[in-house]
Amino acid sequence: MTAVIPPRRSTALIGDDNRIVVGGRTLTWRTLHKLPQLPSPAAVLVDNGADALAAVRHHAVHGTELLVATSARVDLNMREELAQSGFAVVIADGHEHSVKPARLKRVEESGRVWLLTSGSTGRPKRIGHTLESLTTVRGHQQPRTWLVPYSPGTYAWWQVVTLSLTQPDQALVVIEPSELETWPTIAAEHGVTAASGTPTFWRQTIYRDTEALAKVPLEQITLGGEPVDQAILDRLREIFPQARISWIYASSEVGASIVVHDGKAGFPKAWLDREPDPGSDRPILSVEGDELVITSPHHGAGLDGAVRTGDRVEFAGENGDRVLIVGRLDTDEINVGGSKVSAGLVRNVLMAHPAVAWARVFARKAPLVGRMVAAEVVLDPEFGPITDADLVQWCTNRLPDYGVPRRIRFLDEIPQKETLKSDV
Amino acid sequence: MSELTRAEIRDLMGEVMKAQGKTLPTDDSADLREIGFRSLDFSELALRVEDEIGDELNFDAPGLRQIAKVGDVLDFIEQLQSA
Repeated sequence: MTAVIPPRRSTALIGDDNRIVVGGRTLTWRTLHKLPQLPSPAAVLVDNGADALAAVRHHAVHGTELLVATSARVDLNMREELAQSGFAVVIADGHEHSVKPARLKRVEESGRVWLLTSGSTGRPKRIGHTLESLTTVRGHQQPRTWLVPYSPGTYAWWQVVTLSLTQPDQALVVIEPSELETWPTIAAEHGVTAASGTPTFWRQTIYRDTEALAKVPLEQITLGGEPVDQAILDRLREIFPQARISWIYASSEVGASIVVHDGKAGFPKAWLDREPDPGSDRPILSVEGDELVITSPHHGAGLDGAVRTGDRVEFAGENGDRVLIVGRLDTDEINVGGSKVSAGLVRNVLMAHPAVAWARVFARKAPLVGRMVAAEVVLDPEFGPITDADLVQWCTNRLPDYGVPRRIRFLDEIPQKETLKSDV
Repeated sequence: MSELTRAEIRDLMGEVMKAQGKTLPTDDSADLREIGFRSLDFSELALRVEDEIGDELNFDAPGLRQIAKVGDVLDFIEQLQSA
């Protein structure tokens, strides 16, 4: 028995002949290896990009109810939970695969795609989508070759993958985790013209080898998945003066909701509380207290209406006319003896220092004031010696005294999780 | 890590003051308000001590009392270490 929820997208395979470079091979969607007929619903756990793309194409052709994720993200407990929710758990490995049958027989939802949230607010949640709701880029697109550095199954990964599957002339160059440190070389070799990554991903790349990055013929640079600060936008602009540099606010819950192309951090305040436009699929943005609230047409199943994002905003700019998304509400605000400061804003100040390649700002328990602002920093090795006192002085000139990180620890390299985010 | 001596705590206190462009007087009876050593500075000193000894200080252990002079700060941190 099958419950068909949304109509399957008829344009799903328009990109079937798009080029895909994966695992050192140049293929197309059509010539990717085929997975054996999958049970439905299926949770396909993969260890490489080729298997993940093969699962997506299988879904596009057969409508299989699908969750795709890396094996590392789905621990044994979560696999058991999936089995009890009706998913057969498939471990894919090229032409080999093993299947753990579902423990619950239920009606499949044909056309349904499940995403796992990043888990930044706790255990990953399952959010229901379809190829239709994940395809947010429409209309004629310039021919592009896209980098795919994201972990399979994340919202950002689906964004690039659906673009290639549903639009002509949108090639993919898939970067496996083991290739993350040398991706610019691979990207230059295969003519990557568009790349989307977290600010941490871009910072790490600049930090490791700016020269190699500059050789990638990028025309479109996209940032998302973490708060985007002005310093990283400016640095990318220096390296790629001709490229379009965009940042996107997107999540599994509300989809891609804010897209900004003007090269500035934040978005115009005028975008808040605009009248709904029935002719467009523009989301409605608002702020309640200091929380970003979004009503989005690209939302996950059951998340229609206004969604409280849990992300904290601050108004910046000369007239407070720019809305900055500074971090998660539950971790961003640091209360120093009754004075509140945004960890995200402190981080922006630190990262605006020319010698700082990366920074994390957090609260430390302290006597008298309860909490103090502290930071971990990675320095750009090209700059001369910088001390914690230099950075404290830099912050003292730009922040109220309670916002200055008094304890700064230097790390040797930028920490990064599988989601390409760091814990900021 | 072992506890810091009073002299070592004093050195750290001097570093906190120096980072603020101030100087720590040698006299333990110097008034904190007069030398510009504020609650944020005191908190920073406590964190520096924690980083040196590699352990958290138990701020709740000693009773709250007035800390008005340089010597009070040194006494208090010494007491925190042994709490």
